[in-house]
Amino acid sequence: MESTENGSSSNLNMDRRTLLKSMGVAGLASAPLLNTGMMSAAEAAGQTINFTAWEYQPDTIKSLVATWSKRTKNKVNISFIPNVGYTAGIQARQRGGKPADVFYNFAYNSQKFVNQGWAADLRGLRGADKMVNEMFPSARSRFVAENGAIVSAPYFSAVHMLQYNKKMVAAAGFNGTPNSLQETYDQCKKIKANGVESPYVAYWVKDFVEEYLHVYLLAGNVTPFDKKGDPIFMDDPKTLDVLNWWQAMYQDGMTPKSVLTDDPGKHTSSMANGEAAFYALHHYFLRDIVESKGPSSGDISQAKIVGTGGKTLQMGEVIQLGSKVSGAKKKAAWDFMKTYGYKDNKGQFTTFQKWAASGALCAPYPKFFTDPKVVAAFPKYMDLSLIRDTFQNASDIVPARTLPWYQGFQAQCGTIIHDLLLGNSNARATANALAIACKTAKSGSGL
Amino acid sequence: MILKSRTARGEESKRSVSNGRFGFYLALPSILVLLILLAIPAVLTIFQSFFIVPPDGVGIGEFAKGDNYLFLFKNEIFWATSLRSIWFALIFIVGSTVIGMAAALLLNEKFFGRIVLRGLLVLPWACPWLIVGIIWKWFADGNIGLLNGVLLRLNLITEYKDFLSDPSWAIWMTAIAATWRQSCLVALLLLAGLQTMPREIWDAASVDGAGIFQRFRHITLPWLRPALTVVTVLNVIYGLMQFDVIFAMTQGGPGSSTTLLSFLIYRQFFIFTNFGIGSALAVALALIALVGGLIAVKTLYRKIEV
Repeated sequence: MESTENGSSSNLNMDRRTLLKSMGVAGLASAPLLNTGMMSAAEAAGQTINFTAWEYQPDTIKSLVATWSKRTKNKVNISFIPNVGYTAGIQARQRGGKPADVFYNFAYNSQKFVNQGWAADLRGLRGADKMVNEMFPSARSRFVAENGAIVSAPYFSAVHMLQYNKKMVAAAGFNGTPNSLQETYDQCKKIKANGVESPYVAYWVKDFVEEYLHVYLLAGNVTPFDKKGDPIFMDDPKTLDVLNWWQAMYQDGMTPKSVLTDDPGKHTSSMANGEAAFYALHHYFLRDIVESKGPSSGDISQAKIVGTGGKTLQMGEVIQLGSKVSGAKKKAAWDFMKTYGYKDNKGQFTTFQKWAASGALCAPYPKFFTDPKVVAAFPKYMDLSLIRDTFQNASDIVPARTLPWYQGFQAQCGTIIHDLLLGNSNARATANALAIACKTAKSGSGL
Repeated sequence: MILKSRTARGEESKRSVSNGRFGFYLALPSILVLLILLAIPAVLTIFQSFFIVPPDGVGIGEFAKGDNYLFLFKNEIFWATSLRSIWFALIFIVGSTVIGMAAALLLNEKFFGRIVLRGLLVLPWACPWLIVGIIWKWFADGNIGLLNGVLLRLNLITEYKDFLSDPSWAIWMTAIAATWRQSCLVALLLLAGLQTMPREIWDAASVDGAGIFQRFRHITLPWLRPALTVVTVLNVIYGLMQFDVIFAMTQGGPGSSTTLLSFLIYRQFFIFTNFGIGSALAVALALIALVGGLIAVKTLYRKIEV
């Protein structure tokens, strides 16, 4: 169990529900601390923090780090690992005895890292409770484990949205975007008949298709896992509808055949060039489509995946505190983490303001969406209120996705779903195979 | 006369012992580096394959006897993936050896622009495997790929084909991409071998009436045997260990059509964090590579009698 900074360990054995309930009180109690600067500068100055990140906008990262360093008189050694292979890289460093003090991580690795003693439980650190308390309720379980441990802080958050070509949808005779998966198919069919060969694109590559499993299950009103993290989707008849829909989309040519290996860059081009009408992926991809300035870029807008009634997947990656950090260095590292994943010492979302401007990335805090600097920084062609509403009312996090065994399931998902799409399997067999994959991932016996 | 000869042999022997020792001292730093970088990890991997290693990598864990191997041998995914890895390696070995040999023979001839072409041969080899994968992913793309354009103009296909999303084509396409890079190394090594071949042997054979194929079969190939042995062993290793090109092109998909043993090892180490089974897989792959390498050496290598 992680020792706490302020010496209090009274809440260490709380479960998640108790912890979340008590957070309101804890948050109120710690609010004044936040505004007065939770760490006095003299308390933890002169430290050297080792920070590991992946290479998304390295210059932005460097500038964020430099600002914090200047303010706190602490040094930060940044080390970048390429996105491809980050999981292997960060684990190799941990095992090789060169752990980072603060590091980016994929949410699905976060609990595993705490369990393996590589990342610290943030409970007891000043402001950690408040950070969680200020999040959208739907987002909290990504950062709080079932036993109440706070395993990480947000690096960024996003929701899956439908980027669509307004002109193509209107030309096919529709007043708006689809309100169900079936309507998505119907609209695609009509648009295809109008001459768009492959109207629907999505990032269905092997390593990413698991995210879409949840996007579509949620869109089809299926609850994938129970509160204990056990799979229940296979028992829901609606799951078969979702899987049948998915297979039909591929088999009937609503998507290009190459969608199984195409990357987001290609989909962005397809949308910008008017070769596709729908693109389902994270909300910030609209920015890439519009800013690529293709012939159809100006016709692209954003909507919820299945209109007003359904839900979508809320995702995001995290930052974690190394478990070996202690003393004044730990205070400094936590202050850095808070500035990076929450607010700075003045209570401003400085980091997220910068990410909003440079990448249209979001934070899982309601106040982020009303922050005047965020509103000013966010691209004007994006409907921030729609994104906020999706975060608040129309998205789910699927808490099982951060469980320690989950990545084993994710690794097996690609093969199973691809087999379905290629017509080598049917919906029932796929649902069963996915359930077995959960079981083998949990027991650690998958290959 | 006999005495003199013995003395001479004695001097020779002393010198050769002294030379041998000197050579050993010179090689010692390299031997130490190899021991640290190769032998120790290899022994550790074999050792770990018999244990249930904790995921944090601290300590060796519980002795599992041969359970990790039993788990693999009972698992149909292991066998299917092993066969796929061998199939991939075969395409890679044959492809890169044949293309490399053809390029080496061509570049050994005198023609205008030969020097430039020899220089260009290094370019693919200078590309990291991952970059090769990215280049070929775009090259083989089903909508905008140059490969489709070329095949269409040659009337070999009637419409653009998405090779990478077709499970039966994906393994071929990834193997060809890897072959493209490797054949350049093969060409360089074989070209170096060809450069050492005295031209007179070819000329004499021509005078004796040997045709081009006879000369190739009876002179060039035997001459290149040592180089070919090295090349084939390297190809066996690179073919079986291939990861990056496939990771960039298909991530092992569609389905499991390009999932090789190297992928399973990666998964066990970094996703399932199951070091014991990951190590057992690595040992199994090393054994397959060893068998492949031995077959290559046995088939190709001949001791040169001087």
